[in-house]
Amino acid sequence: MESLTTNTDVRLTVTRCFRTLKSSTDCSDIITALRTLHSYLDEGPESTATSPERAEFRRAHYSSALQLLVSNIQADWLHQLTAAQRTELWDGLFLAGPPEQALLVLMDAIGELRPTSNLDHVVNITEKFLQRRRLAELLWSYCREAAPSDSPQLRETLLGRISALPDITANKLQLNNRALFLPQQYYPLLATEMLTALERTCQALRAGTDCSLTFVAQTLGKVCIQGHSGSVLAVMAPRLSACTRSDMVWQRVCWKLLENVPQRWMESVLTGLVQAVSGPDALGRIIGNLVLTNKKAQFVITHKLLLLQYKYETRVLRIILGYLAADRDRRPLLIQVLRSVSQAWANSSAVKHTPLEQQLYVSKALLLSVSLLKDSEIQELRSELLQCMLGGMQTHLDSNVVRIRRMGMVIGEYLSSRMDINGTKLKFEYDQDEETRELLSLLAPGACDEPEAEPVNRADGPEETAETAESAQNASQTTSGAQALKTDPDSDLDSDDELTPYDMSGDQEISKASPPRYLRDCLEILISSEDPVRVELALQAAESLVRKNSFAAREISVQMSKVLLHMDDKYNINGFLYLRQATMVAVTVADCIPVTHYLTTEFYSLNYSLRQRLDILEVLALAAQELSKPVTEKKAASISSATTAESTPYPGDNPVHWRNVVEKRIQSKTKRLTKKAAQPVTKATPNRYAPVAGHFFFPLLKNYDKPQVTFDLLGSDHLVLGRLIHTLGLFMHLAVNAPIAAQMGCALLDFVWAVRYHADQMVRRGVLFAVCSVFLSMPSQNLLVDISDQLFETRSWLADVAEGDPDADCRSLAVQSLVLLDKSLKKQLQDPQAPTVET
Amino acid sequence: MSRPSPSPIYTLRGAGGPLNTLHFSCQGEGTPLLFSGSGKGAIHIWNLNSRRAEKIIEAHSGNSVIWVSTLQSADALISQGRDMQVCRWDVSEGRSELVESVWTGSVGFCQCSLLETSPANYLLACAGEQTEEIKIIELPSKTAVCTLVPEEKLGMVMCLKLWQPDSGSGPLLLAGYENGSLLLWDVTQRSKLSQVKAHPEPVMCMTFDTTSLRGVSGSSEKMLSSWRLDGQRNLQLQDCVTLVNPGVSQLCIRMDRKLLASAGWDHRIRVFGWKKLRPLAVLQYHTDMVLSVAFSDHRDPRQRVLAAGSKDQRISLWSVYNEGADTG
Repeated sequence: MESLTTNTDVRLTVTRCFRTLKSSTDCSDIITALRTLHSYLDEGPESTATSPERAEFRRAHYSSALQLLVSNIQADWLHQLTAAQRTELWDGLFLAGPPEQALLVLMDAIGELRPTSNLDHVVNITEKFLQRRRLAELLWSYCREAAPSDSPQLRETLLGRISALPDITANKLQLNNRALFLPQQYYPLLATEMLTALERTCQALRAGTDCSLTFVAQTLGKVCIQGHSGSVLAVMAPRLSACTRSDMVWQRVCWKLLENVPQRWMESVLTGLVQAVSGPDALGRIIGNLVLTNKKAQFVITHKLLLLQYKYETRVLRIILGYLAADRDRRPLLIQVLRSVSQAWANSSAVKHTPLEQQLYVSKALLLSVSLLKDSEIQELRSELLQCMLGGMQTHLDSNVVRIRRMGMVIGEYLSSRMDINGTKLKFEYDQDEETRELLSLLAPGACDEPEAEPVNRADGPEETAETAESAQNASQTTSGAQALKTDPDSDLDSDDELTPYDMSGDQEISKASPPRYLRDCLEILISSEDPVRVELALQAAESLVRKNSFAAREISVQMSKVLLHMDDKYNINGFLYLRQATMVAVTVADCIPVTHYLTTEFYSLNYSLRQRLDILEVLALAAQELSKPVTEKKAASISSATTAESTPYPGDNPVHWRNVVEKRIQSKTKRLTKKAAQPVTKATPNRYAPVAGHFFFPLLKNYDKPQVTFDLLGSDHLVLGRLIHTLGLFMHLAVNAPIAAQMGCALLDFVWAVRYHADQMVRRGVLFAVCSVFLSMPSQNLLVDISDQLFETRSWLADVAEGDPDADCRSLAVQSLVLLDKSLKKQLQDPQAPTVET
Repeated sequence: MSRPSPSPIYTLRGAGGPLNTLHFSCQGEGTPLLFSGSGKGAIHIWNLNSRRAEKIIEAHSGNSVIWVSTLQSADALISQGRDMQVCRWDVSEGRSELVESVWTGSVGFCQCSLLETSPANYLLACAGEQTEEIKIIELPSKTAVCTLVPEEKLGMVMCLKLWQPDSGSGPLLLAGYENGSLLLWDVTQRSKLSQVKAHPEPVMCMTFDTTSLRGVSGSSEKMLSSWRLDGQRNLQLQDCVTLVNPGVSQLCIRMDRKLLASAGWDHRIRVFGWKKLRPLAVLQYHTDMVLSVAFSDHRDPRQRVLAAGSKDQRISLWSVYNEGADTG
């Protein structure tokens, strides 16, 4: 009964005030009305209203009072109030009452008002609202209520307003937005408010009061799903990690908080958290055994972050796996993870079809999880690991991509060393590069330690860090001082150091035998000599002999190529491969047609190793490149001077000589009125490659689909196939402007069509390179006339590759070919002179 | 990036034979001179200012000259030839007169060693008639002071170094033998003080730093062996330096004891820091074996040059590690 009367009393008073505010023009009336409203919010001892009255006002009338104020914001009386009165009575009303209602009204007002000074006023109040930490008040008020008193819809709206405040203000205010409303400032602020709420919760729990973390958890989840997990958790994670270090209540609060995050937002919170925490221990303290209780969390941590996504840094992997390994209850999950990761790693289809980055990521996960296992656990898992190792090694070593092979080697070595198979270990010879070094560094035991010196509190952090920095500096100074002391006597002893050595690279061993002077001698030595020194000298001299004496080279060119092709590095000669290749290229250039005929025939014949076949391709490619380059001036000059010196010793006979002399005389007598540009005009020289391009190209297109006992190009020897297509593409590219380019282009497109969806990415890369070079080198009118029927299909194939190929290089090459094709077609279609498809 | 290897500052040609030995005389007031002994019995006196041969002495009746040296006191030149004679020449005031000659009886290639005991007298150590025999002769009186013969078979004497230690006792003699041994003799006591096997092959050459009592010897292999003399006058082997190509004809330490130069059979001159035997430079110019190296004894350290004589009949002169003069 009593409460009913209070309610009616309050309602009557409030309605009276409202009426005054709406209709009155008298300033003093207005002020009285506002003061009356204020009195319901005052909690001080001199408050006139009783506490049931206050509660009733807060429950039923506060929102409407605020709405009334906002709707009457243009009223005259507002502008008659002094600034102090306005701040006290008008603004104060927003900042004193229940924060959730005030926030909702404010956000609505911002949404509705036009950009005027009134809007500015409301924005000012909102800014003050945030600055006075009303958000913490808001969150805390929801923590206090064990059971929600308001409707779910209201909560939903409030959540939306809190998490989207920067968006709402930015949409409305656009360029006039306040700095505080920017996401960079707002979300860290929100994070601190959440921390404050959590802190107060902890205090309340210690005092024995029950609290609910649902609303804070919902806020956290909502903010994270909206993509602000980075900025929010960057503030929260270090603090939580520090607070949970020793405080059990904090740990309980954290676990409860994460349990209360709704399922649909769990993933974004967890991914944000694993990236924000400093180490596996911190993660364990914050989320506890969430992976065991929450299915969603388990899926995210043990599956999604490891096997489906691969964008995270190695640190994240370390944290996740370290977290799984740290606790006895979570340990079975680590073993389960290891099983699935090793299966993913060994999967041959994954090796072929997933991007390299993902494979690297999975490899790291595998290495890390194995390194975390104890020896006894490894013994349990032995059969599975062995299976993974054997299958995985095979698929990895089979790959054409060097990085995949190296990955396989590193992991194979490590697995075999951990499994202890009868004391034997795998050992591969691979070149260390950044990637393998990174993989190996994962195994370093000390690397998992997290930095223990976390600042417990931000406020007293700087002093402490400054101190530690100072001490560190001191330490480094003392150590450097010690080093200096150490080095001083050393340098004193070594007075040779003041004499800097000259370059001594020319200090080579002198060999007793002399190099062959004639090409035939050289060939003879290469064929029959058993003396390592002579063979080495012959090989070193061979290239220059071939180049100096092209007539002699032509006589023995095929024989020479045969000898070199079959030559083995019997004596471990320095730079053997390079010397042999250079000589073969020189021979091919000197006597192009017979040698290319020989080499291209041999490419498809029996009983060659893959290495030899690859050598043939390399030699042909290099020779074609050399032929297509214009003969440089300097070379020509030196050749001509050499020939004149040798063959025409008598200067009178030398036509070049006297012509030069006459030329010089004319030059000296001629007066020039204009100054010519000094740059020498590059002399046009015939392309030596154009007439013989077909000899390089077409024989290689024959026979590719006839598998032999030792060589199956379309089957297992895809390494050679990739290189073959690449080389053919190179021939095509070099044949630009050659008359034969059109035929070559047609044939090449036909050839690569069959293998365009080859499983090996090297082959696909080669195919795309070849297609690129076709579009580059083929004249555009031929493109339309000769292969018009294929163009459409090629286009759609390229578009498909550009979108969906797992290999990044393939995608970019496909895009490039598309651009080239379009350019070429556009050029052709815009040119009215050119023959079109119809003609 | 290290500096490129230097080139010779100039070369002296026209010796007409392999240059077995070089000797500088640059300390006096007069023109700096370089003496060279050729394989055809000619001693060239090169004027380093005009860079021409000032005088050519046909000595030792056409036999190869294997050693030349000068005496400080007078304008006296001493030469040793394959005709088993050591001759003293008066080269003052443009003369070139044979003053006296001593018969050594040695058919080998061992270069003599000279020690001036007083302005008028000097000792000469040379290989003797017998295989292992070393003769010490006092000149100009030509009295044989002693002969030193080791008890065991060591092969021919290959190189000698006679010096007066600071401690005031009698002169000491270092000798390298065909079997690779190094022996230290006390000349006055006529006794062997120490013996060490420095090389598996014959000791081709050695040089000794009388101040720090360290020495280095070369052989026909790829190794320079360094050794020192301790307080008890024992020879102790120290570290070795490995060369790229085998064979060393001569070694020489610069006066300031900073550099060591070696004349290599591989046509190259190598320069090392003397303290730690750190390789510093490889000088390439000659087209045949380098037979001799010498550092000049200019008073001004910046003028000190390195000369090398080769079987290709040329002498190359180099300026290396002279502060100021050498701005590589």
